[in-house]
Amino acid sequence: MKLKITTLVVLLALGSFSYAQTVDKIIDTYFENIGGADNFRALEGISMKASVNAQGMDIPLEMVQLKGGKQLVKFELQGKKLTQLAFDGEVAWGHNFMTMQAEKQDSIATENLKRLSGDFPDPFLDYKDKGYKAELVGDETVEGVECFKIKLTKKPTIVDDKEEEDVSFYFFDKENFVPIVMQSEIKTGQMKGMVSQSTFSDYEEVDGLYFPFSMMQGLKDQPGQTIKIESITLNPEVDKLEFVFPEE
Amino acid sequence: MKKILFIIIALGAFTYAQAQDDIVLSGKELFGSITARQIGPALMSGRITDLVGHPTNDKVLYVGAAGGGIWRSVDGGSSFNSIFDKHTQSIGALAIDPKNPDMVIWAGTGETWTRNSTSVGDGLYKTTDGGSNWQKVGFDGVDLRISSIQINPNNTDEVYVGVLGPLWGDSDKRGVYKTNDGGKTWEKLLAGKPDVGCSDLILDPNDPTILYAAFWQFRRTAWSFNSGGENSALYKSTDSGKTWNKIHNGFPKGDLGRFAIAIAPSNSTILYAAVEAKEGKGLYKSTDAGKSWEYLNKDFGLVVRPFYFSRIVVDPRNPDILLKGGLFGSISQDGGKTFKGMGRMHADIHDYWFDIHNSERLYAATDGGLYRSWNRGTTMEMVNDLPLSQFYHISVDNAEPYNIYGGLQDNGSWYGPSSSPGGIEARDWNSVGYGDGFRVYRHPEKNIIYSEMQGAQGVWRYDVEKNKTSDVKPFQEEGQPKLRFNWNAAMALSPTSPDRFYLASQFLHKSDDMGSNWKIISPDLTTNDPAKQNQEESGGISQDNSGAENHCTIFTISESPLDENIIWVGTDDGNVQVTQDGGANWINVIANIPDLPKNTWCYQVAASNFKKGSAYAVFEGHTTNDNATYLYKTTDFGKTWVSLVKDNINGFARSIQEDYESENLLFLGTEFGLYATIDGGDHWSKFTNNMPATAVHSIALQRKTSDLVLGTHGRGVIIIDNISPLRALSQEVLRKDVYFFDSKPYVMKEESGFGGGSNGSQFIGRNPSRSAQIVYYLKKRHTFGKMNIDIQDANGNKVTSIDAVKQKGINIAKWNYNMKAPKVAKGKTFSFGGFASPRVPAGTYKVVMTKGKKTYTKDIEVQYDPKSGLSSEDRKLQQETMMKLYNMTQELAYMVYELDETIDYATKVATANPKSKKKATVLTNDLNSLKETLVITTGDNYVGSAEDQLREKISNLYSVIVSNYDRPSNSQLANLKVITKRFNEAKEEFSRIKNKQVGKLEKSAFSVQMEALKVKPYDEFID
Repeated sequence: MKLKITTLVVLLALGSFSYAQTVDKIIDTYFENIGGADNFRALEGISMKASVNAQGMDIPLEMVQLKGGKQLVKFELQGKKLTQLAFDGEVAWGHNFMTMQAEKQDSIATENLKRLSGDFPDPFLDYKDKGYKAELVGDETVEGVECFKIKLTKKPTIVDDKEEEDVSFYFFDKENFVPIVMQSEIKTGQMKGMVSQSTFSDYEEVDGLYFPFSMMQGLKDQPGQTIKIESITLNPEVDKLEFVFPEE
Repeated sequence: MKKILFIIIALGAFTYAQAQDDIVLSGKELFGSITARQIGPALMSGRITDLVGHPTNDKVLYVGAAGGGIWRSVDGGSSFNSIFDKHTQSIGALAIDPKNPDMVIWAGTGETWTRNSTSVGDGLYKTTDGGSNWQKVGFDGVDLRISSIQINPNNTDEVYVGVLGPLWGDSDKRGVYKTNDGGKTWEKLLAGKPDVGCSDLILDPNDPTILYAAFWQFRRTAWSFNSGGENSALYKSTDSGKTWNKIHNGFPKGDLGRFAIAIAPSNSTILYAAVEAKEGKGLYKSTDAGKSWEYLNKDFGLVVRPFYFSRIVVDPRNPDILLKGGLFGSISQDGGKTFKGMGRMHADIHDYWFDIHNSERLYAATDGGLYRSWNRGTTMEMVNDLPLSQFYHISVDNAEPYNIYGGLQDNGSWYGPSSSPGGIEARDWNSVGYGDGFRVYRHPEKNIIYSEMQGAQGVWRYDVEKNKTSDVKPFQEEGQPKLRFNWNAAMALSPTSPDRFYLASQFLHKSDDMGSNWKIISPDLTTNDPAKQNQEESGGISQDNSGAENHCTIFTISESPLDENIIWVGTDDGNVQVTQDGGANWINVIANIPDLPKNTWCYQVAASNFKKGSAYAVFEGHTTNDNATYLYKTTDFGKTWVSLVKDNINGFARSIQEDYESENLLFLGTEFGLYATIDGGDHWSKFTNNMPATAVHSIALQRKTSDLVLGTHGRGVIIIDNISPLRALSQEVLRKDVYFFDSKPYVMKEESGFGGGSNGSQFIGRNPSRSAQIVYYLKKRHTFGKMNIDIQDANGNKVTSIDAVKQKGINIAKWNYNMKAPKVAKGKTFSFGGFASPRVPAGTYKVVMTKGKKTYTKDIEVQYDPKSGLSSEDRKLQQETMMKLYNMTQELAYMVYELDETIDYATKVATANPKSKKKATVLTNDLNSLKETLVITTGDNYVGSAEDQLREKISNLYSVIVSNYDRPSNSQLANLKVITKRFNEAKEEFSRIKNKQVGKLEKSAFSVQMEALKVKPYDEFID
């Protein structure tokens, strides 16, 4: 009987503890747990080697993100490297799959990328300075785990011809205070209105900082596709030309 | 102590320690990644109750459904997404905040079109983030129907709500309410009476201090309906609801029924009211803001079934154009003097919405979904993306893939497949009955389908092959009283005798020849209460004897799968009767059931699969305003019963399904969703993985696939594929860090067909995965450190890796039986055939999970599709041919790699040692000439493609062999010979060039201290 009561007390205490959390406490604990906010602030960039499994093929990916919003996603198919997305801060582009030539993204998509340029290395880092808003909206069980549900509102995003709120929901595991799921509404295209979901796992340390080495992406409640990260390099040396649209 | 524990279970969020320290998983922890699949259909859609559009963006439209929740379109109705899945799916009224229309939406739950089968609501909700999250902001209580939400456009925190209240009992919550603080607090402005609620409330858009409120006296019981009385009235307030006056000047005297009211948005002095009355019923118009009323019209379309159709919508720009809901819908273009019918659409129109910019464009909400018109209702087109179908019952057959059969509210009877090429499309569904459909069964052996329509007016035996239908319903015979059939008349198949077919009135009718001949095998098993059999008097002011109120009937039948002489029946007036001798003697066991109010409707009785004396009985009393959950089990033929209900089950229940293999695994369908227990009812968990909180009217369990199939009343058919892991959850399993569930051998399906012809705006139901479902339990969610899953063959060679799922609880990882795709030679363009991955041969494979430093393994068995008809010799030839081409693809890739490296080397040597330039050039030219025959070196991936070379020739044949589940043809084998010859010649040519020239070039390299040509070995390159 004694044991039972103790268990209950602990559980009840945990329960009430969770409600006492504020969003900033959660975010602060998160950065403490993954290596310290200062260390993330000092990051200039990261590059990742990864792969995604598509119909039995392991497609190698190379991703680079730099402070200020420059980014690059390249993949390799049958020995050929193609750029899915490159952004030099002004122009976003990628290779057309048919012609394998570089083509610019439309101006709205590019503008929306510009607005996310403060996301590196983590949208929650100094989120208030970026003009973002974070709110603890409740508790929810996802992936079988009790989580804090945090609503993050970034700078408005442009949808067709007008601005809309850019909202995403992050689910922070109550045990480890790291996000394990992120959901957001798809704003454009045929899937507009549906909810996209990313799950994060396999957090591992890289030079003192923790990153999720596995990300499953897809639609909420439907099977997704996993990006497996093989290695991460902090502050990598990169050829800046790789980000720039190749004029003929 | 017990109580506290109970609270924790009810919270559903904790894993707690019981006396024996049992691990109990609940909710998402238990079900893990077992996820429901919503397959619609949407071709007949379902009842829509309320429509509302965005005030400034004409592409945004919200649909409130009778049992299917709230859906939003952002493209003028081409496509929809549901935004209210976590809450009750019965919608009464919707409203959009005019000042913040993208974010703030109000939803009043509880349908107000009060038919017998209507679902219930549970309060008023509000979202402030565009529908991602909803909060309940008042009027909590089951069956509290909300008829109207009116927002002051100048101050949107000021909101008025009309509460119609419960359909089935008294309530003191009915009336008109107001909040001044966005829903935090509410004030009652105008009270109703125990049986009089606010059925409509409108705010003058041009002067928001003016309100009109219609009050309606009404009551429904299981056996009657009453609309009207002395307290039905229309009121007006001109001081924001502080004071109210009845405005009946010109209306008929005496008892009145339900009002439909509308104000012309372009001229607030003009009002329309459809009035239900014995004398003087019809449409009235006021041109002085309600001071007086002029009687205009009593066309059928204006007076038909007011309880079901009381909505008038006025064109926002023209006060003379108005639409009236009704059986077919009516439109007036002369201020209500005359009406014509709307264009052809599904019957029973409940609401309309005019486009904000163009009144020609409008929408109609019907019993069969949403319709859109581009010409003010002259022609209507159906929106094809709303899977709101309202099933009363469903069943499954034993075909592969199995079919699902069911009947729908006002939408007939249908069957369709659980899987179809390209997804389950509208065209996959087949009609097998008219009217309202209910129970539909497929003969266990023959291609015969039984279906029915309301009140057993038709009971059909349909021979699918002959396309021949016979109505086989039994008629009254000499010496028999009139037969009483329920609206939703009980039918059942026998689990023991394929040609046997049961049908029930107040008697149980049995046929052993598929309905051709009937025998009554029981006395009247109901209470036969004459007070509940006066349906011709039903309706109140407007007679409404549709058959929907037929009562004192048998509602559910279950023959024991263990003994054909044991038959259970349950009646709508609260009897449970059992016979153990095939109907000669019946015992009414209802008195033995504890804590059950008398005369509570027995919705389902189900004989157990495990013990002759065991059965389950589900009761629901919502038609007497009792919304409790009732589920009982007996193990002694009904002498004693135990309740299996726990406090965390929400909603009255209608359906129970016992597993075929584990007696403790039960599924319960309630008004608000699906619940499951793995311990015989000690603990229940709500299933919410892609499962809306919709009313689950009927459950079936497919024996071969262990798929749980749900007939929902508003969200169509929902399937939970393969629930077998729930059978294997034991305390022993739950204590393990990782546990792989056993599986039957996996069958590699070898079907391939054509489908996917639906356009982008048609609903398509998702197919089940054909991959091997590798099911495992994780005690903890995997968040830190690496976790991977590989598949190895019997010799421990890695075949491929698959995506691991890492939730706490049950996880399903999928393997599509393919090995890794071959490494393909690099060319200028892609070789599309080379993207194909070959299937593995049948056999034993090992699943290897690496999780942190630990490794867990499980052997699995993979089989060929027994239906394919291929001999083992054919398969061997296919496998050999496929692997020859697979290996050739990779060898060619290596050759091209080596060739490219050699060219690269030659260039470097020529630079370092200019004397070697000529040698290098000759070598490079020779290699490039060879390469041009190996891979495409020009063009693009579309119509600029170049002539196929060896790589393309190999992959073209390879991809055909890989995707054909067949013996390679002579033509294919002959082609293989040609390709092999050419490949061998290429290899020889490459060797010749290398042998003759590379050594010489290396010498030039050595002379400038360069190393020899270095290439990766084959295995390293391929890996």
